[in-house]
Amino acid sequence: MKQENEDALLRISGLTKSFGGLRVTDDVSLALRPGIVTTLVGPNGAGKTTLFNLMTGHLAPDSGDIIWNGKSIVGKSHYQIGRLGVARTFQDLRLFNHMTVEENVLTVMEPSSWIWQQGGSTARKARMERVRDILERTGLSDKAATRAVDLAYAERKFLSMARIMASDAKMWLLDEPASGLDRGSYELFLDLLRTEVSKGVTVCIIEHNLDIVIGISDRIAFLDQGRLLADGDPAHVLKDPHLAAIYFGDQPA
Amino acid sequence: MFAYILNLATLICINGVLAITLNFIMGYAGIFSLAHAIFFGVGAYSAAYFALHSSASIFLAVPAAMLVAAVLSLVLALPALRVRGEYFVAASLGLQVLGVTVFSEWKSITGGLGGIIGIPPVELFGHAVTDPVQFLLLASGCLALVILITNTLLRSSFGRNLKAIRDSESAAHSFGKNVAAIKTLSVVISSALAAVAGALYAFYLGFINVESFMLDTSTLLMAMVIIGGTGTLLGPIVGAVLLMLLPSLFSYMWFLPQTEIGSIQQIAYGTAMVLLMVFRPGGIVGSGKGDRR
Repeated sequence: MKQENEDALLRISGLTKSFGGLRVTDDVSLALRPGIVTTLVGPNGAGKTTLFNLMTGHLAPDSGDIIWNGKSIVGKSHYQIGRLGVARTFQDLRLFNHMTVEENVLTVMEPSSWIWQQGGSTARKARMERVRDILERTGLSDKAATRAVDLAYAERKFLSMARIMASDAKMWLLDEPASGLDRGSYELFLDLLRTEVSKGVTVCIIEHNLDIVIGISDRIAFLDQGRLLADGDPAHVLKDPHLAAIYFGDQPA
Repeated sequence: MFAYILNLATLICINGVLAITLNFIMGYAGIFSLAHAIFFGVGAYSAAYFALHSSASIFLAVPAAMLVAAVLSLVLALPALRVRGEYFVAASLGLQVLGVTVFSEWKSITGGLGGIIGIPPVELFGHAVTDPVQFLLLASGCLALVILITNTLLRSSFGRNLKAIRDSESAAHSFGKNVAAIKTLSVVISSALAAVAGALYAFYLGFINVESFMLDTSTLLMAMVIIGGTGTLLGPIVGAVLLMLLPSLFSYMWFLPQTEIGSIQQIAYGTAMVLLMVFRPGGIVGSGKGDRR
């Protein structure tokens, strides 16, 4: 593991959330350090996506704290957390379906809610230049004028990545970004992610595919039934027979 | 006959403005409002009141009407924006009912059920526009201006913000979009521009009462948008022209029993609407595919 001592970019401590009588997040503490790829693994229903929803303000925790750059962000609204630099993708993508590929990426770069953006035509040209660059890197250049809803499956996945690339966020929360990708797309995806990480993006990723988990993670956090069971070096966590048994659905030995 | 066509064309311009402004929030921000006639009414009453008590100049009365509608839409939009989809439709329906009650009861301002009579003609640079041809030119000028404003907005980053919210509110939130502010702004713009139609209407007829601003007007406007094509630039105009022309087409069909025209019209509308939604859910101008995945 690299940079173990560095301060966390995002730290959650004692986070708890219940729906009715069910504890979906149970006293979870986790530190996401800059430049580190942390993978959340665990069986379905372990509370991985719920953790993302809590970190992005989509859900409010019952107790516990979320510290971003040294300040608590609990209670801030969804969009404020987005503006601070925590961006996410969704398992069901949630693309802007009836907008073109180009518009999907461009709108993420336009922060103002008013009827104009700051910076005038110079800034506008710079944004268009960046859109072109991002579309090229995600292999979507030919599809710039296509509506998101008309894209093929893998292209939709890459548009989801293109959108988060456009966000300028320091922290990326990726919810199963590579599921269902064919071999070629999957290599392109890994290259893309590695390049972005090398540029300084901090990534937390939910993934089931163990090849990807091993191929990209600096660190693995293992969740089951809302609790954090293990958190550490990938080789170490994945070798634990107890965790493997939970993950593959067997009774623990 | 000429006067009849002039009248129809003027009403098409006014309803065109209303359909375009409704489509602005319905088609691009996903706000299905059944209260659009209220802002039409607010514009009409404000312009009439302003013209009677202060000035009938278009450069004063119309902005005054827009301002009143914008402020009222703000007060009423904020709570309504807390709910989405069908809940907003229900909330806007409540608003429509409430608005009609205020229109018919606040007698000192609206004249109650009797309405306001004797609204002076609108003045353009000190010249009173009383000639129907001139008024049609004025109305079509306003329509063109509203089309220009809404199209420019929709092609800008603001238009992209609206469409992003319509397609996925949660994703728009995650990427830092202040959804409440964007929605509120869209409602304010839409209501203020709808007030332009209200002002034109008041000046055109010289008389207004609550009957023009009831739920059936809101429903008709929504039908114009849906039939023409929600979320398209041309759709609401096509819808407005079509729904304004159809009644007169029916009355020109000599073989129909003239006393039953009203019911025949309703049956034809109803059937057309059902067939359109089944075979062309995107509306006449829409893409034709039922692609709301």
